[in-house]
Amino acid sequence: MIVREVTIRNRAGLHTRPASMIVREASRFESEFFIRLDGYEINGKSIIGVMTLAADQGTTLELHFDGPDEAAAADALEAVFENGFGEPV
Amino acid sequence: MGAEPPGGERRVKGIGLSPGVAIGPAYLFAAGAWQAEREDLCPEDVAAELERFETAVARSERELARVATVAQEKLGPDSAAIFDAQALMLRDSAFYAAVTDHIAREHAGAGWAVQTVLDDVRARLEASASAMLRERAADIADIQNRVLRNLQQGRALSRIDRDHIVVAESLSAADVLLFSRRGVLGCVLDSGGPTSHVAIMARALGVPAVVSPHGLADHIAPGATIALDGFAGEVVVDPSPATLAAYRRRAERFARITAAAAGHADEPGVTADGHPVGLQANVELREEFALLHEYGAAGVGLFRTEMLFLTHGRALDEDQQFAIYRDALRASAPHAVTVRLLDLGGDKVLPFAHREANPFLGWRGLRILLDKPDLLRPQLRAILRAAVHAPADAPPRLLLPMVTALGEVAAVRAALADVAGALRAEGVEHRADLAVGIMVEVPAVAIQAERFAAVADFFSIGTNDLTQFTLAVDRGNDRVAPLFRELHPAVLDLVARAIRAAHARGIPVSVCGEIASDPRVTPLLVGLGVDSLSMSPAYLSIVKQVLRTFTLAEARALAEAVRAEPDPAQVDRLLASFLSTHSGDLASALGVGDIP
Repeated sequence: MIVREVTIRNRAGLHTRPASMIVREASRFESEFFIRLDGYEINGKSIIGVMTLAADQGTTLELHFDGPDEAAAADALEAVFENGFGEPV
Repeated sequence: MGAEPPGGERRVKGIGLSPGVAIGPAYLFAAGAWQAEREDLCPEDVAAELERFETAVARSERELARVATVAQEKLGPDSAAIFDAQALMLRDSAFYAAVTDHIAREHAGAGWAVQTVLDDVRARLEASASAMLRERAADIADIQNRVLRNLQQGRALSRIDRDHIVVAESLSAADVLLFSRRGVLGCVLDSGGPTSHVAIMARALGVPAVVSPHGLADHIAPGATIALDGFAGEVVVDPSPATLAAYRRRAERFARITAAAAGHADEPGVTADGHPVGLQANVELREEFALLHEYGAAGVGLFRTEMLFLTHGRALDEDQQFAIYRDALRASAPHAVTVRLLDLGGDKVLPFAHREANPFLGWRGLRILLDKPDLLRPQLRAILRAAVHAPADAPPRLLLPMVTALGEVAAVRAALADVAGALRAEGVEHRADLAVGIMVEVPAVAIQAERFAAVADFFSIGTNDLTQFTLAVDRGNDRVAPLFRELHPAVLDLVARAIRAAHARGIPVSVCGEIASDPRVTPLLVGLGVDSLSMSPAYLSIVKQVLRTFTLAEARALAEAVRAEPDPAQVDRLLASFLSTHSGDLASALGVGDIP
């Protein structure tokens, strides 16, 4: 199990497009992927789940990875967040 | 409605959303009315129900894939991304697994399960403090409707034959896309404005559409014959043989004319004797910039910036605005874009606004901007920064909404100088030599036009508001709507006065109200001396065709005759006869001079 902490960098927050980027990326890996925010946990491979996080710019999230390719998944997802989803930060 | 004798035709006046003439049987489309009933399954039916659900999801997926492809083609990647995300949601565990779980464990019908699961998601989003997320609830509602429709009435869409006219309370842009693929002839809606996504999509696809405020969807029998004119905004239900024949002629001519007009998109907007008139586009949504070249627009005469703010539910910051303006200016090159500063108030309110007893006479337009520098300054900064991305000889122009006092123009110029100074001090790339013009939409400005012409770099006449304020008529009020006449002699007096004052000072005048797109009125406006007309882009080619049929001298003579005429009904006749004389084909295609 790997846990990483990331911050939402883009101005618009976690709206539909970033949520679908996260889900598409996560779906490439076998490992389970959960996102935690204030004790609320959602499946990171679910776009509806990610959207209901309602995460604005500046919000800090905990990413949990568990499975055979957890290291690669953690690096890939962290990069997606760090890039601010390719949007203005 | 309903009072007419059975068998008689019903004529309804609405608002044209997308030009064109269509005749066909009605198909009643009940979007949003897909409600599932609770039903308990026998255990042996569960497997079949799961399969029915999978079939509906697969069908929804195929629909969304088609919609995304067309959206990508017509409107660009931003629009397509929304449909891609919706397709992703269909296979989402929070949806798909939750629904199958519901069916398998609780033996709920698929429709009920879909509704229960998505109602819950939607409620969570709608309860959010973030406007951005509340907006996403609309995506969930779309998904819900789509899957329920495919479950309950999988045949619904495929039952629409070609050559039907869709009658609906409301449609989404995605619905219009699908319908147009199925060869639907036209749409009649109960809600939606000329600047809605539906309207823009319909125009982009060439599907004639009319919005009628009379609740037609509840009063038309399936299969009833409908004749609709998306230009005049007219719907005729069960037309008489004579009306039908007139509409058929109109449809034929209209098809011929638009085919011919499309070939002339690149020709300049000039009168028969070569007098140039700028034919420009009114734009509200970013997607529309991609369509400007196709329509042959000579730039953007009115870029409304309200939607940028209202769709986000909060003020966009400077960088977000900068990116939007930069893209808009690039897409419009080599022509200029006139950016109207945020025109909030009236019927467009941001969350911070309080409710007013009389919003059209209240805190709106420039009045808000001057009270709230945190709105005005970022917008000015963003436009000045974006201006370096415009062609050097066609910088953006700034248009001030709802001006009523000379001091307001001075205040904006002061803010502009201030902002430019700050950008210079910060070493930020920008351009400050932008023209500053004003909307002439309040009688006070037209009456004192000489004074305003001395402080403004151009005038843009907003005939909708000018008419409303001059005649004291709210056209949204059915009781008095017939009194709303943009060609009322008093309104024309004010228009003529504004033009005269502007030209005496050597500044240009454009008209950006709805009459700018009415080909009957084109010769009158040109005769009055208007330098450019700005309209919804779908109307440009037809107005250009009309413009090329008369000379400036003929237009001036018409304007003189109209100005001398005190009776508005007589004015209508003068305009109709001018159009019939100079472009007979167009006049009959547009039903000018038709019965009754």
